[in-house]
Amino acid sequence: MSSNKKYWKSVEELNQNSSIVETLKQNEFVEEIPVDEFLGDKKTLESSNTTRRDFLKYVGFSTAAASLAACEGPVIKSIPYVVQPEEIVPGVANYYATTIADGFDFASVLVKTREGRPIRILNNTMSATNGSANARVNASVLGLYDSLRAQGPTKGGEAISWSDFDREINDKLISIAAANKDIVLLTQTFASPSTSKLISEFSEKFGNVRHVVYDAVSESAALDAYQAKYGERGLANYDFSKASTIVSIGADFLGDWQGGGFDSGYAKGRVPDHGKMSRHIQFESNMSLTGANADKRVPLTPSQQKLALSKLYSLVVGGSASGNLPEHIEDAIQKAASQLKKAGSNGVVVTGLQDINAQTVVLAINESLSSKAFDPHTPIKIRQGDSKAVTQLVADMKAGKVGAVIMSGVNPLYTLPNATDFAEGLKQTELSVTFSMKADETASETGYLAAAPHYLESWGDVELKKGHYALTQPTIRPLFNTRQFQEALLKWVGSPLSYHDYIKQTWDESVLNGASFNQALHDGTFVSGGSASATTETFHEDDKTFVGGIIEDVAEGLGLKEKANNGSDESNNISLNAISAGTAARALASSTTSEGLELTLYTKVGMGDGQQANNPWLQEFPDPITRASWDNYLTVSKADADELGLVNTYVANGALNSNYASVTVNGGEAIKVPVIIQPGQAKGSVGLAFGYGKTKGLKSEMQTGVNAYALYQNFDNVQTVSISAVSGEHEFACVQLHNTLMGRGDIVKETTLEIFNTYDKEDEEHGWNKVPKVSLNHIETPVTSPDVDLWDEFDRSIGHHFNLSIDLNACTGCGACVIACHAENNVPVVGKEEVRKSRDMHWLRIDRYYSSEDSFENDNEKKDNISGLGSSLNEFSEMEHAAENPQVAFQPVMCQHCNHAPCETVCPVAATSHGRQGQNHMAYNRCVGTRYCANNCPYKVRRFNWFLYNNNDEFDYYMNDDLGRMVLNPDVVVRSRGVMEKCSMCIQMTQKTILDAKRDGREIKDGEFQTACSAACSSGAMTFGDINDKKSKVAHLKQDNRMYHLLESVGTKPNVMYQTKVRNTTEA
Amino acid sequence: MASHYEAPIRRPLVTGEKSYHDVSVDVARPVEGKANKSWWIVFSISLAAFLWGIGCIIYTISTGIGTWGLNKTVGWAWDITNFVWWVGIGHAGTLISAVLLLFRQKWRMAINRSAEAMTIFSVIQAGLFPIIHMGRPWLGYWVLPIPNQFGSLWVNFNSPLLWDVFAISTYLSVSLVFWWTGLLPDFAMIRDRAVRPFQKKIYSLLSFGWTGRAKDWQRFEEVSLVLAGLATPLVLSVHTIVSFDFATSVIPGWHTTIFPPYFVAGAVFSGFAMVNTLLIIMRKVCSLEDYITVQHIELMNIVIMITGSIVGVAYITELFIAWYSGVEFEQYAFLNRATGPYWWAYWAMMTCNVFSPQFMWFKKLRTSIMFSFFISIVVNIGMWFERFVIIVTSLHRDYLPSSWTMFSPTFVDIGIFIGTVGFFFVLFLLYSRTFPVIAQAEVKTILKSSGERYKRIREAGDSLAGTATDDRTSGSKENKTKNKK
Repeated sequence: MSSNKKYWKSVEELNQNSSIVETLKQNEFVEEIPVDEFLGDKKTLESSNTTRRDFLKYVGFSTAAASLAACEGPVIKSIPYVVQPEEIVPGVANYYATTIADGFDFASVLVKTREGRPIRILNNTMSATNGSANARVNASVLGLYDSLRAQGPTKGGEAISWSDFDREINDKLISIAAANKDIVLLTQTFASPSTSKLISEFSEKFGNVRHVVYDAVSESAALDAYQAKYGERGLANYDFSKASTIVSIGADFLGDWQGGGFDSGYAKGRVPDHGKMSRHIQFESNMSLTGANADKRVPLTPSQQKLALSKLYSLVVGGSASGNLPEHIEDAIQKAASQLKKAGSNGVVVTGLQDINAQTVVLAINESLSSKAFDPHTPIKIRQGDSKAVTQLVADMKAGKVGAVIMSGVNPLYTLPNATDFAEGLKQTELSVTFSMKADETASETGYLAAAPHYLESWGDVELKKGHYALTQPTIRPLFNTRQFQEALLKWVGSPLSYHDYIKQTWDESVLNGASFNQALHDGTFVSGGSASATTETFHEDDKTFVGGIIEDVAEGLGLKEKANNGSDESNNISLNAISAGTAARALASSTTSEGLELTLYTKVGMGDGQQANNPWLQEFPDPITRASWDNYLTVSKADADELGLVNTYVANGALNSNYASVTVNGGEAIKVPVIIQPGQAKGSVGLAFGYGKTKGLKSEMQTGVNAYALYQNFDNVQTVSISAVSGEHEFACVQLHNTLMGRGDIVKETTLEIFNTYDKEDEEHGWNKVPKVSLNHIETPVTSPDVDLWDEFDRSIGHHFNLSIDLNACTGCGACVIACHAENNVPVVGKEEVRKSRDMHWLRIDRYYSSEDSFENDNEKKDNISGLGSSLNEFSEMEHAAENPQVAFQPVMCQHCNHAPCETVCPVAATSHGRQGQNHMAYNRCVGTRYCANNCPYKVRRFNWFLYNNNDEFDYYMNDDLGRMVLNPDVVVRSRGVMEKCSMCIQMTQKTILDAKRDGREIKDGEFQTACSAACSSGAMTFGDINDKKSKVAHLKQDNRMYHLLESVGTKPNVMYQTKVRNTTEA
Repeated sequence: MASHYEAPIRRPLVTGEKSYHDVSVDVARPVEGKANKSWWIVFSISLAAFLWGIGCIIYTISTGIGTWGLNKTVGWAWDITNFVWWVGIGHAGTLISAVLLLFRQKWRMAINRSAEAMTIFSVIQAGLFPIIHMGRPWLGYWVLPIPNQFGSLWVNFNSPLLWDVFAISTYLSVSLVFWWTGLLPDFAMIRDRAVRPFQKKIYSLLSFGWTGRAKDWQRFEEVSLVLAGLATPLVLSVHTIVSFDFATSVIPGWHTTIFPPYFVAGAVFSGFAMVNTLLIIMRKVCSLEDYITVQHIELMNIVIMITGSIVGVAYITELFIAWYSGVEFEQYAFLNRATGPYWWAYWAMMTCNVFSPQFMWFKKLRTSIMFSFFISIVVNIGMWFERFVIIVTSLHRDYLPSSWTMFSPTFVDIGIFIGTVGFFFVLFLLYSRTFPVIAQAEVKTILKSSGERYKRIREAGDSLAGTATDDRTSGSKENKTKNKK
């Protein structure tokens, strides 16, 4: 747009042809510029202090500066909210209660979200049932940001739209229904009232629908036994806090037995209170977490377990049991039986034998004891799988009887021992659909892959125990184009409802009985039925965990209603006749013939059934017993290993190697498994963990171990196997290479209940928790005395002073804290190769020690009796080897936050120094990485960043992709390479608590201060708080008789304390 | 001639009846002449090792310390072992030049130049390790107490590592100044002999305008004495402070009050061994057998024997105290040292450091050049193992058995060590071709200490006239040839 405007500059311009105007046009400067004059005047030039050189310098500099400024660094655009969501405040976390129900793990949890991203899983302390997240549940948040997730529905590998997907499947279902062929829903255990209802609606619409519930790791025998006895398909519910004598025959109830969740109750009974604690006797073949915690552990093979159980039955209930057991086992059974009888209703017996007779016998024993710990009214609902139905389905599919199979939450091509049969069956099936988060073994073989959302993106409901409900709600919008199974069912039955509305409807109709759905959703948990009053009581007793002040005390008035559950409507109710316990016991005793080695298949605390195999946190999570990460392996007793030629060797850098065993079941296909020689493994038995050996839907780094499901014939976790040694070198990655305590009883202090109850802790002879003494001017002075202190006392009575107490009696070694620490503190995953080089990054580790004699006490004695060089050479080298059936001790160790920290004095740049609140700080920015602090740390808790883990192709776990990085906690810096890192006592959490209280103008309540580990600890082993608050629990624990500091004699004055382990060795 | 008592005559420190001029010629020969083939071969090998080391260092710094074999339990291994080893080697130079100067030990004059050169070159190697062993070496200057913009951040004066920084830098600078001061008259000598203008220019720069006036000499003597006085405590302090890195820690096997004297003795021990290694080669290659005589080697062997025995006593004291202390961690640390998985390192150390120097009690052995050379190598190996044993075996099994592990080096660890050895020899070989390797000005002061020759002349009944050794200062040619019979 040109303008014709003309601006007059002077009057002269009015006069056309004015010479002045013309001149001005030609010459910008009317008068000549006196350049010559200016330059010619040498004097002024010289007097100027701007020389030519200076001028050129400035020009040069400004040009350089301008061009430098023009260089742009990489620009990362972050898009701000256009409309700020009301509930999201940047920098402030939101918490939502939800429930994980992936078919293996069921737990009520609290999800911490930051700026809309779920970043952490916390325990839902309001939940009476399964309110504690185990290691896997803690790690499950990372699965949300898995870069290998299915991002949309596919048909034969090609992307398809959901509308096409619906149309095609609907058409096919109708045609299959018309052809009168079976439509099978093969699903995980949902234990969901709404899903059950929905499935029945689906069956109504299509007819001929069969719902097969399939648990990868079956509890079918226990379910059958329970159903036969009590007429309801569920699992016996135990509360071990009510038991004074616990006898377990092969039940790893601190692990995943019956769905897990028993550890907090167990731990409650294990802390000596008024001179009492429970006694736990474990009969088992593999060294399990449970066996490691037992007061007495008897190793015996699974077939001996059966006989032992029948003998126990005959001794406690009556009848006779034939068959012979080795004398020491016989003796142990008799003692266990007499203790049970003595305990009466305070006793409880459990078993992990997947054998209907064994399960029946156990139910009968508990009934005859009228065990308080066993509650027959609230069976556990989180395992529903029916092995027979699954076997039948595979047969039917092969026979071509099945027209459609729709799967959700299952991966039979990975988890079935006869996966090839299933694959064949799939080929005969016209329509196959898998709802899955991954293109896993099954999903990639089925016709349609319906991309499923993560549970943090889904709706759902679960009946964990009879009458104990929990709700799943999304905490983030689905990241991908996914749809959950139930939504699809709703579409297919033609319902206009969303699954959320459907759940609400179901709950209003049959669960809530007038209570508020929103309240239940807020709490994530809802209890109906008679046990509610009991659970509300425990709410009051328990210390509340305040997580950033988000949970209010709203537990009261919850679900006090009397209504029987009618939500779970099994589509295939197999009625079983009650079996007589006596017959069962006899059958047990007679079924004990076995040739060859007996393999017990188990699940690891870290990997479970293998659903989360692509989760690097879990892969790197060291097994609590073997301390091996990134692997599964055959556990073999030393005696068997020697016989079979299986060897473990240590290489130059200390790492563990083994050869392989070839394992065959029933002359089937042999699998090649690496071997770990496991102390405590019963001779004649071997163990192997499920969950490894996956090949599809996971990164190559995560394809670790071997698939044990191949040996899982008839869904029996005990198999008779033949084993031969195969040459080769397998490289393990263990985080702990030395297994024994070397008689260093001061590290894990322990005593027996009898001594604990009888003697003073400082008793001359029997003192069980003596403060170490040093000689000061020839007078024995306790190391805690200020007289023997190198440093002046510092007044710590003002402000907060944080302490963490770890109760070695309550700690079961489950490792939930390890993962919680990983998630909270952005601890990098370093991979198998690095772990193998002893470079694991865990800020918190759980040391596991074996005794080298029968007990740690004998170790100490043996060490004390060493005299002379010859004897010390002999005996110390003997002590390096664990006993055949050792005692086990767990000890969580993180930075001890020493008040006199050896690390602080040696850092040349003062990068690590002490805080006013007791923490030993680490200023990552200041660290130059001399590693002197790590060397001088007696606890060896400092971890060095050997490489740049967060931006390095060599370490492609989750910190190296944009999706995985979404899990990072923005409150904690991601450390760079070359710096030392370590536990900060979660200073970001304590500071948040202080700021919240300050903002609210209130005092901080005890229990409000938490660290990631103490909040994750469901067994109450870890108590964190302010010892300057004299009323706090931790201040009391500091005064407790059992309290000691690790390596007290070094004089480091740690802020972490331990409570002496007490073992109940009282034999009846 | 038995009628009177004849005082014993000291053995001459310089043999071969050298004249002053001969000394100048002999010392200047390697500088003025051309390098022979063997020099080039050794130099090429050293240079290759040096370049390989540089490659490994660049790899470490660009990738991370993870390229080394260290782990969560063993945070130091070859890096600090090499550091202490190189610092220790450096000690002999200062001891020879400063302490022996103060004690007027004239035999030091033939060897002090090279010993000091060795000191400086080995301290350079040593200084490399504390820098490259850092996780973030580019921030290494943070260990210096320099005013900064980071707020009130200052270094931690409690940390022995900081004292190391001060000790090593002081040591390096004092040694360098001392060395250079001694070099001035010798550089001037080469300058004066130089014929090529470029060479002349360079050496006149290096000699700082030395004129040889009496005032120059007076100042030279004064400065030498002052520097010797300054350097003497450094001989003790540097390795004392290095030993504090361990002695002030809480790790069993490190936390030992015996460390300062033990480290100093060990350092002198290894330093003399390295001097022996180098000079036995150099006297051959540079034809300096008349200056560096068997007597020198013997004296150094005696020092090696004594310091080796001190170190041996220290080892045994450690064992005794560990047992006597009654501290189980301490006891186990030493038991593990001697009999644990690293027993071979401990016994390598014991054999090389304690047993092998005991051969020096025999005169025949300590005056054997080949044997001395062999033992000097053995001692150097042994002293490397000593540091390895102290560092790695103490760390790998300390308090909590759960953290016990092992260490094994990677090619990078080894490469960097070899690289420093290469670097050291590159420097030393360049030095031997460009610097006056013998303090000729000083040596000239002891030429006539020996009366042996004059005694011979007198006994032969010859005139003493014109018997001066130098052609240019002696009398007639005739007389000289006669005397030379």
